[in-house]
Amino acid sequence: MSAPGRGRKRKLLTRQPEETVANVVDETERFASLELDDSGSEAPSVASGSASEVEIEGEDEEDSDNEGESNGKVTGLIEEELRALKPTRASRSRRNAAGANGEDEEASDDDAEDSDEAGFEQVDENDLELNYTVSTDANGNPRYIYKEIEPGYETDDSDAPDNENTIGDIPLTFYDAYPHIGYDINGKKIMRPAKGDALDTLLNSIELPEGWTGLTDPATGKPLELTQEELEMLKKITRNEIPEEGYDPYPEMFDYFSRQTEIMPLSAAPEPKRRFVPSKHEAKKVMKIVKAIREGRIQPYRPPEETEEEETDPWTFDVWADEKPRPDHPMNVPAPKLPPPGYEESVHPPPEYLPDQEEKDTWLAQDPEEREKEFLPSDYDALHKVPGYDRFVKERFERSLDLYLAPRVRRSKLDIDPESLLPKLPNPEELRPYPTTCAAVFSGHEGRVRSIAVDPTGTILASGADDGTVRLWELLTGRQLQRIRIGDEPINAVRWRPGRDALILAAASGNEVYFVIPLTIPNMTPAVESASRTVLDMGFGHATGKGDTNSASQKIPGSTWSRPGSKLEEQGVLLKIVVRATVKVICFHRRGEYFATVAPSGQSHAVAIHTLSQHRTQLPFRKLKGLPQTATFHPSKPLFFVATQRSVRIYDLSRQQLVKSLQPGAKWISSIDLHPGGDNLIVGAYDKRMMWHDLELSIHPYRTLRFHTKAVRAVKVHPGGLPLFVDASDDGTCQVYHGRVVDDLMENATIVPLKTLRGHKVTSQLGVLDVDWHPRNPWCVTAGADGTCRLWT
Amino acid sequence: MGRIKKKGTAGQAKNFITRTQAVRKLQISLPDFRRLCIFKGIYPREPRNKKKANKSSTPSTTFYYSKDIQYLLHEPLLQKFRDHKALAKKINRALGKGQFKGASRLEKNLTPRMRIDHIIRERYPTFVDAVRDLDDALCMVYLFANLPSTEEVPHKTIALCQRLCNEFEHYLIVSHSLRKSFLSIKGVYYQATIQGQDVLWLVPYKFVQRVTGDVDFRIMATFVDFYTNLLGFVNFRLYTTLGLVYPPKFNQLSDEQGGELGAFTLQGHGLGQEEDQDEEITSVTTNPKAQAIADALAQEEAGAIEETSQNEDSSMAVKDTEEAPVDDAPADLAGAMIPGSSDFDQALQLQVDDTPYATLFSDMSVFLSRESPRHALEFLLRSFGCKRIGWEESLGDGAFKSDENWSGWTHQVVDRPGAPSTGGSAPHDETEAGAQSAADSQQRVPDRAYVQPQWVWDCVNAGRILRTDLYARGATLPPHLSPWVKAKKGEYDPTQPLEPADTVDAAEQEEGAAQPLANGASKEEEEEEEEEEESDLSDGMQEDLSEDEDESADETKADIDETLGDLSDDDDDDSASVSSAEVDRQSHQLELEAEAAGVKPSAKKSAKNAKPSAPAKSEKAKQKEREARKEQEEVERLKGMMSKRKRMLYEKMQYGNKKREDEAEKLKSKRRKLEATKQRAGGKS
Repeated sequence: MSAPGRGRKRKLLTRQPEETVANVVDETERFASLELDDSGSEAPSVASGSASEVEIEGEDEEDSDNEGESNGKVTGLIEEELRALKPTRASRSRRNAAGANGEDEEASDDDAEDSDEAGFEQVDENDLELNYTVSTDANGNPRYIYKEIEPGYETDDSDAPDNENTIGDIPLTFYDAYPHIGYDINGKKIMRPAKGDALDTLLNSIELPEGWTGLTDPATGKPLELTQEELEMLKKITRNEIPEEGYDPYPEMFDYFSRQTEIMPLSAAPEPKRRFVPSKHEAKKVMKIVKAIREGRIQPYRPPEETEEEETDPWTFDVWADEKPRPDHPMNVPAPKLPPPGYEESVHPPPEYLPDQEEKDTWLAQDPEEREKEFLPSDYDALHKVPGYDRFVKERFERSLDLYLAPRVRRSKLDIDPESLLPKLPNPEELRPYPTTCAAVFSGHEGRVRSIAVDPTGTILASGADDGTVRLWELLTGRQLQRIRIGDEPINAVRWRPGRDALILAAASGNEVYFVIPLTIPNMTPAVESASRTVLDMGFGHATGKGDTNSASQKIPGSTWSRPGSKLEEQGVLLKIVVRATVKVICFHRRGEYFATVAPSGQSHAVAIHTLSQHRTQLPFRKLKGLPQTATFHPSKPLFFVATQRSVRIYDLSRQQLVKSLQPGAKWISSIDLHPGGDNLIVGAYDKRMMWHDLELSIHPYRTLRFHTKAVRAVKVHPGGLPLFVDASDDGTCQVYHGRVVDDLMENATIVPLKTLRGHKVTSQLGVLDVDWHPRNPWCVTAGADGTCRLWT
Repeated sequence: MGRIKKKGTAGQAKNFITRTQAVRKLQISLPDFRRLCIFKGIYPREPRNKKKANKSSTPSTTFYYSKDIQYLLHEPLLQKFRDHKALAKKINRALGKGQFKGASRLEKNLTPRMRIDHIIRERYPTFVDAVRDLDDALCMVYLFANLPSTEEVPHKTIALCQRLCNEFEHYLIVSHSLRKSFLSIKGVYYQATIQGQDVLWLVPYKFVQRVTGDVDFRIMATFVDFYTNLLGFVNFRLYTTLGLVYPPKFNQLSDEQGGELGAFTLQGHGLGQEEDQDEEITSVTTNPKAQAIADALAQEEAGAIEETSQNEDSSMAVKDTEEAPVDDAPADLAGAMIPGSSDFDQALQLQVDDTPYATLFSDMSVFLSRESPRHALEFLLRSFGCKRIGWEESLGDGAFKSDENWSGWTHQVVDRPGAPSTGGSAPHDETEAGAQSAADSQQRVPDRAYVQPQWVWDCVNAGRILRTDLYARGATLPPHLSPWVKAKKGEYDPTQPLEPADTVDAAEQEEGAAQPLANGASKEEEEEEEEEEESDLSDGMQEDLSEDEDESADETKADIDETLGDLSDDDDDDSASVSSAEVDRQSHQLELEAEAAGVKPSAKKSAKNAKPSAPAKSEKAKQKEREARKEQEEVERLKGMMSKRKRMLYEKMQYGNKKREDEAEKLKSKRRKLEATKQRAGGKS
């Protein structure tokens, strides 16, 4: 054993199982008592420990010096270093410890003593001797205790660690609960090294021990400490330097065999003869070459000529020598050829091709990319005056760009006569009679004529206009019969009550509806007059019944029925109904008993159905989807049609439910009208079109007709059975159609446009505002925004 | 039930590939891809459904046909491109090391030689296909032949282009396959028919071309690279089919002296080849000598030009006979070739076919004045059979004779200002011309027709010799018309006289009628402006649905018409009265003018005649108008019943037709006006 403790720093902890007393044997200045945290879990294992164990923690400077030296020889990776370092250090420290123990206590650890001694024996003596001792174990069986193999130069396993932890590659945390951290080769526990308490760590942190790394050696569980030399070495290794201390990778080169002639040559041999005799071998070689030159096999060197290589044409053969036509592929799109030049490109074109000043200016003002032609035609009276074309290169370049960059696509050119696209329609001459010419102009209104109506007898025309008057005209002559000034507000709607027995005209002005019995007209016989009066006055008896609670109108009184006042009464206006909002449309039921008013802005009061005989108003719709535009009654069934902006809704009045909702596809419906048969509906819309609905066919239009450039304001079907209908538009025209409906369900209606009636002037973007048919004849009357009405026959 | 098809595995999604994908697939750079596309003639496609082809991604991209790109993968050029790239790296490295010699050696030895004959074969499986695609090639090669050499356009390329152009022209001259030509403001168009294919190309005038910065010469150079190859092979084929040796002999000396076409000598294959060669070589060498002698003689006798010496004339004649076979290549060849061989037959066939083109100028000797475009004229005249073309020596080598005063010239092309000769006989003019300018110095030679260059072009396009007096020096030329425009129905044809219906007074009437109408319109507009925007129907926005405002002209018309119900009659009367008044005024004006100019009874008479005829004519016009309107209404009626799609189609077609008609109408009206002014000017004078 090497001499222990020569001025070494040593921390030594001895622990007895009986009395946990730290016996510090140390004469050095540093003293540290490390108390293990003696928790309850530790106690049994401590108690079970058969013998006291001594563990040493710490390094002495000398050791580290030795190790430094020994390590200096080792070159290699870090791991190898560490592996090599560990065992020597451990063994040495253990030996030290054993020595110390030997001094203090006698044979505290038999095994260690034995092994140490055995080791010495083994080294000293022959291999023939048994390398184990036999003892008895706890059960009394023989126990072979092998001597520790001392690694030396003669042993194979030179770096076998002598006190290696044998637990293998398992984490040390498995031993957290035990005082030991594994077993050595002999199955002895390797005790956990003592750990410093908080104070110790604090001290450590204040004064870092030499070689402190903060790491724990996983094999021993002790803090891993490295010496300065080791650290230096590691640093060098990380820098890719040679770790050996003081190694000079670039030593001064000493040139032994230099060009300088040495005063004292290395060899003193005289120059050999061969240095002075011409070489036979070389002569042979030279002669060989000379011979080759003589024979012309080797040409004397001539520097390559610096002449430009004459590039030979590649076209020295016929590429198409064995040509075979290839069938065209559908994906092959050859580039279109440029069109040949026209007359205008000539240097001396016919004079009509030359641009005048105006065209020239516009061409110059245009952006070059917007120009239809890229050049201006110009005339030169002599060829030598023609200048160069400055866009030539550019045009060629653009063409080449087109050739390789422009996507190509085959387009089949439609080569059909545009006339063949036009549908074949019967000649309108065959579908006579229909209105063609303007027969009378009714002028007198100041302001737009908003509404007109021809009376059921077909002799009188009523019109309501912006000037607040209702005028009655003789239909055939255009003579004004009567002028009734109702108020200042425009008359939005005028309608005659159906039926010939009584002649009653309803006119809507603002939110009031007036009923007029025109007294001055020629066919107002006393009988008719009295009948009319009775119709109007009948309801006054019911007026007392206003207190009824059962009708819907009573909850929110929708209207008031009253006399309009004596001034109006003199003119024949006998009844006035005031509703909530401005009435735009009046439509009568076929029998004249009911009529409906539509006031689009009236919300829940928008559509109201009035009973004339009872002076009663009903509001059938609490809430309607969309703004109601117009409404109409079915001629034979108890159906009620309400047109909102986009759809036409059909309600069954008797069952009080929605039957159908038609979708004409228009953005904003202006007016609707039912065919007298009741199965077809025409719808006019502000988006320039008119739809024909076959109610039995679909909720979508059977035919959409676009004849106008502006909004369609009114549509009307001939009420007297003629297959005619007409629409009125803001472009100032009316289009008359032939629309024949056949009873056969299998056959669709035939619709033929017949004639465009032009005559009304467009004023402030409004053209024809209303249209109405004569009850029997193929005549129609139109009301224009220009303040006139026209009769077309 | 089959397997569910996965999206994007078939059809358009598979058939098309974007450019980025293509470049990635080929693993080349974009410029290389561009070159490859140009060489191989690969172009982007427009898939029928872009969204499907782009696998539902929206950005717009360029699509290529997948199979095109797949095909490119096996292109030998691709390897050359890669070699080139590797070489570029090597050279760069050498330069970086400062090894300039090594770099140049690398460049010299390792530069990959690219041959694209296989591509030409591939793109044009038959010769006819190649000829069909020659238009762009010729245009480009001709342009490059006329460019100055710069850094981007090396001298070599230009020389090659010039050579190829001249060779091609020689072929056209020999085979007489040039058909038409046209002087345009862009350049000269030529059209030739080769193997039944029409080839049209444009040659710029000889000016320095303006090159803007946005022209990328790298792209152009790639095209030129391909086109020169193509044209070379085409030339080879053309020459060999005629039994000629390709390339033809090129005389450097002559070319340097501006010989252009004359620098080339064609040779025939076959037995007589050697003799031919000898003869031709000697002739080429002797030619300048002879010319020099002739010129010297001419200068000596400059004073006495009018009486050209007899012996000189005869010597010239002798030379003429000597030289005739030189220029007369086809005749020569026919002699040299073996009768019965296929080449011979073909050549003969060509000649037989082309007789009208071959003999157009054959019996003329034309002298080109200094200011005329020599090359174009020489090419054109020679391809239409002219054998004897001369020009001044300063214009370049290769003239038949450079003596202007030689009496053998039948025509002289002049392009300088001067008084037109009044008749075909020159002697009258001599004094005039002499007095006019000393600079001209040359007096008119009798029995020689002086024409402007346009005459040659017009003769070629007409296919016959035109009257020379119309094209005399200083004369106002007839318009030069494009020979390719075929007037379609409804289009304006300047060669036809105006229709009898559209006579001058109709035009004037129109003019007159336009004025009051315009006035009416403006008045109407004013009225409308005065009318303030009244509150519309209380519905408010309903008018907004119908937006477009109608113009006022129609309205006024309608207004006038409809007041009394019957549209047409009233309108007729109205405008008829206007027009008759207008006619009255005009006739009165005419009378006054006639009186001022000196009484001419005929003018008066015509004016008086016009007076009663005018209403009748207007009646007719009204009738026509009425019918037109009726027709229009009928069309409108039918159009309303069409589906929206059909109507759009119809309107599109009508739009195209209308545009064409408008264009024609515009030209017609312009011509009418021009004729009217001319008449008036004529009447006044």
